[in-house]
Amino acid sequence: MIDQNAVLLFITVALASAVEATEALTIILASGITRGWRSTFEGALLALACLAVIVGVAGTALIYYVPLYALRIVVGTLLLIFGLQWLTKAILRQTGFKAPHDERDIYDKQVATLSKEKGILRGQRDSLAFAISFKGVLLEGMEVIMIVISFGLANGSQGQLGTAALAALAAVAVMTAIGAVVAKPLTKVPENYMKLGVGNLLTVFGLFWMGEGVGVQWPLGDIFLLVLLAIIFLATLGLTAYFKRVHESLTEVEQ
Amino acid sequence: MPSGKTLNAVWKGVKSFFKFWKDFLVGDSPVLALGVIIILCVAYLLRGSAVLAPASTIILVLVLITFAVWQKTKARRRHAHN
Repeated sequence: MIDQNAVLLFITVALASAVEATEALTIILASGITRGWRSTFEGALLALACLAVIVGVAGTALIYYVPLYALRIVVGTLLLIFGLQWLTKAILRQTGFKAPHDERDIYDKQVATLSKEKGILRGQRDSLAFAISFKGVLLEGMEVIMIVISFGLANGSQGQLGTAALAALAAVAVMTAIGAVVAKPLTKVPENYMKLGVGNLLTVFGLFWMGEGVGVQWPLGDIFLLVLLAIIFLATLGLTAYFKRVHESLTEVEQ
Repeated sequence: MPSGKTLNAVWKGVKSFFKFWKDFLVGDSPVLALGVIIILCVAYLLRGSAVLAPASTIILVLVLITFAVWQKTKARRRHAHN
C-alpha cells in the first residue's frame, strides 16, 4: 500500500527543489555564458558537495541526539514560517501587488553585471565565475536542505530522509537536464503556481508537526493533513480572489 | 592571545552568520515569524483541549496569512487613496 504521507512528502520536496533549482540554474547559466563554464561548474560542484555534507552531518546528528518532539517543534515552526513566506509572496504575485518572478530579467541583469566585472584569473580559474556559481548554488540549495532535513526527520524515521533527498535530487536532475538542453533561463516554468502549491504544503506540514510537537491532538490522526490542506487551499483561493479585486479597483482609482 | 585583527575577523564572521540566518528565517516579513511564535505558544497553552487547540491554531494561521497579505498591500492602497 502506498503511504499517503510519503507521497505528499515526495511531491512537496520535489516541487520546492524544482523552484530553487530553476533559480540556481539562472545564476549558473548567466555565469557560464559570460565568464566560461569550467570555473562556473567547479563553483557549483563545490557548493553541491558542501550541501551533501550538511545533509549527512546535520541529518545524522539530529536523528541520534535530538528527541522527536523537539525536532517536530523546531521543524514544524521553520516549515510554517517558510510556508507562510512562500504563500504570502505567491498570493501577492498572483493578485498583481508584486511583480512576477521573471527569470529572464534576472538572467539579463546577471549577464550585464558579470560582463562588466573583471575577476581575477588564478591559473585557469576565473574567481568571479567560481564565487558567483558557488554562492548561488549554496544559497538556493540551503532552502532545499532545510526542507529535505525537515521532511526527512519529522516523522522520526530515517527512511523518510532518503525519500526526501531522492525527491530533491530527482527535481534538481530534471531541471538541470532541461536547462542543459535549452541552455537559457527556464522562463516557461510556472513558478508562481508551484510556489502557491509548495507554500500550501509547507504551511500544512509545518502546522501539523508543530502542533504534534507541543502535544496538540489532531482529529483523525495523519488523515487530518488532507483536511488541513483543503482548508489552507480554500483560504488561498479566497484571498487571491479578494485581493485581485482590490488590486483591480485600486488600478481603476489610480487611472 | 589572539590579535585585534583576528578578533575583528571572528566578530565579522559571527555577525555575518547571524545576519544570514536572520535573512533566511525572518526575511522581509517579521510579522510572519512573530505570528508563528505566537501560534506556537497558543498551541502549547491549549494542548490539553481536543477541540480548542486544533481549532485555534488553524484560525490563527488563517488570520496570520490574511494580515500578512493585507499589510503588504497597505502602501499601495494608501498611495491610491491620496
